[in-house]
Amino acid sequence: MTTIDKNAVLSPLGHQLVEGSLTDAAIMRATEATPNFAILPWVNVVKIGGQSIMDRGRSAVYPLVEEIVANMAHHKMILGTGAGTRARHIYSLAIDLGLPTGVMTVLGTAVAWQNAQMLHYLLAQYGVPFIEPEGFSTLPHYLMERNAVICQGMPPYKLWEHNPATGRIPPQRTDTGCYLIAEVFGARRMIYVKDEDGLYTADPKKDPSSQHIPRISVEELLARDYDDLIVERAVLEMMMRGRNLREIQFVNGLKPGQLTAALNGEPVGTIIYRATSNSSDNGDSK
Amino acid sequence: MTPTQPGAQHVASRLMRESLVDKGVLASTESKVTAILPDVNVIQIGGRSIIDRGRSALLPVLDEIIANQAQHRMIIGVGAGVRSRHIFSVGLDLGLPTGALATLSAKDSAQNAYMVSCLLAKYGFVYLEAPFVVQLLPAMLAAARGAVFNGIPPYALWEHLPAVGKLPPHGSDAGSYLVGEVFGVRKVIFIKDVDGLYTADPKLDPEATMIPAIGAADLLKKNLATLPIEPIVLELLGRAKLMREVQIINGLTPGNLTRALAGEAVGTTIHA
Repeated sequence: MTTIDKNAVLSPLGHQLVEGSLTDAAIMRATEATPNFAILPWVNVVKIGGQSIMDRGRSAVYPLVEEIVANMAHHKMILGTGAGTRARHIYSLAIDLGLPTGVMTVLGTAVAWQNAQMLHYLLAQYGVPFIEPEGFSTLPHYLMERNAVICQGMPPYKLWEHNPATGRIPPQRTDTGCYLIAEVFGARRMIYVKDEDGLYTADPKKDPSSQHIPRISVEELLARDYDDLIVERAVLEMMMRGRNLREIQFVNGLKPGQLTAALNGEPVGTIIYRATSNSSDNGDSK
Repeated sequence: MTPTQPGAQHVASRLMRESLVDKGVLASTESKVTAILPDVNVIQIGGRSIIDRGRSALLPVLDEIIANQAQHRMIIGVGAGVRSRHIFSVGLDLGLPTGALATLSAKDSAQNAYMVSCLLAKYGFVYLEAPFVVQLLPAMLAAARGAVFNGIPPYALWEHLPAVGKLPPHGSDAGSYLVGEVFGVRKVIFIKDVDGLYTADPKLDPEATMIPAIGAADLLKKNLATLPIEPIVLELLGRAKLMREVQIINGLTPGNLTRALAGEAVGTTIHA
C-alpha cells in the first residue's frame, strides 16, 4: 500500500492520520486540539426568511432592502435567503408522489434560489452579486469591493441530504445552510431576519399568552424540547459542535432598525448562545 | 395564489403556513417512498483500502465489475485515501475548519473516481460530477453501461461538524450510501481490504472474530474502537426508508463481489 515517506515532514498528528484509521476515536480526539483559523472574521451572515419576509412581497422586502443598503457602508454581509410557501407546496406534492428526501432538497433549493434571485434584482444597482455555492471562492473579493453578496440559503447537499428522524421533509434547510456558512468562515455574527421579535415560549401567532425570550442558551433550549422552534433543530444541534460561532440572533424584519441594531451588536430580538465551552477551545480562534 | 395572512402571499398546500420545525407537522409527513432506480447496485471502492494499493488490488476489482456487467447494473462511488490523510494533516495544522477540509478532501476522491472512470471507459462507463448525478444519472444509465461518481458527497463548505474533533464526518461511504438510499437501489456494497466487520481490528488483534450480520443500532452500542466503514453510515441506516442494509466485502479476494451481487451472504451485512 502507498504510504508517505517516513522522512516526509509530518507532525505527530499527521503520522497518526496517514497511518491510522479515521474511525479511531483516539485520532478524532487528537484533531480536537488543533487551532481554529477564522477565514472571514469580519463578515456577517444575514438570513432573510422565505415565508416570513420574501413571501410578503413589497411591503416587507422594500424597507428591508433599504436597511441593508444603509448598512452596507458599515458592515460586510453575506445575505442568504429562505424558501417559504412555494417550498411547502412542492414538498406537499413530492410527499404525495412518493419522492425521497434528497429529491425534495433539490426541489426546495430551487425555491430558495428564486428568492435569492429576486433579492439580487433589487440589490443589483448597488453592485451586489448573486453567488452559487460553486462560486464561493470569489466571495471574499465581492465582499471587499461591494460589502455584500447574495446566496441561496440551502446547503448544497442535493440528493445527498440525510433523511429526517421523523417524516420526510429535509432536516437541513436554509437556517442550517446559513449557519454553516457563518461557522465555516468564522463570521462575526449570524442574524436571522424573520417576522417575529424573536423566540417565544409558544408560537405568538397562535398563543397570545406566550412570552418573549430575549436570551437563552442552546443547552437550555434543547432541554426544554419545545414542539415548535424559531429555527431548524439541526442548527441547535450543530451549535453544540461549533468551534467558531458562539451565538445566533433573531430579529424582526418587519420592524425598521432591528437588523441595524443587531449588526451593531445590540441585544435586540433573541440571542441563542452556547453556554458550555467546546473542549477544543484553545483561545487561538482569531 | 391564496392570500390568507395579512401581507403574506401563500400558495395553497397541505403545509401552507405550517412551521416545518413543528414536531406534529413533521410527523404528519411520514409516508411511503418510491424507489427511483430499484435495479441499480451502488458499489463503493475504498480509497485507502483498494485504490492506494494500485494495480494489484484495483484491476482485479474492475475486472470483476466488468464480468458482472451483463447481469447487474452498477454505479461506482470512489473514496479518497492517503492524499486526504495528508491534506487533513496540513489543513489541521493551518487551523482550517471542517468545511474547508471536506472541500479539499473531495478533490482526492474526484481524482480517484476519474482514474477509475478512465480504466472503465472502454466498457462504456462515464464519470459524473454531483450536478450530473442529479440531472443525468437515469439518462446516462439508459445510454451508458455504468457510471462512476465521487464517493464524497458535495457538502463542501457546508459539511457537518463532527461530534469529536475536526475531521469531516461524511466520506465516500456516507456519500455512496446516500446515493443508494435516495435512488432506492437494489444493493449498496462497500469494497474494502478486510473480510468484513470484526470484533476488533484484525490487522492489530489476531483474536478478533468476524461478525457476518449485525444491526446498525447494535453495532453503535458495541462502541468498537475502529470500524471498517464511517460511523455516520450506521446513523443513516437508522433513518433509512428504502436502503435498509449495506454489505462490506473484501475486494482483495476474487469472487466476493460476484457473490455479493448474486445476493450471497459474503462479508458482513449491516442492517437497519
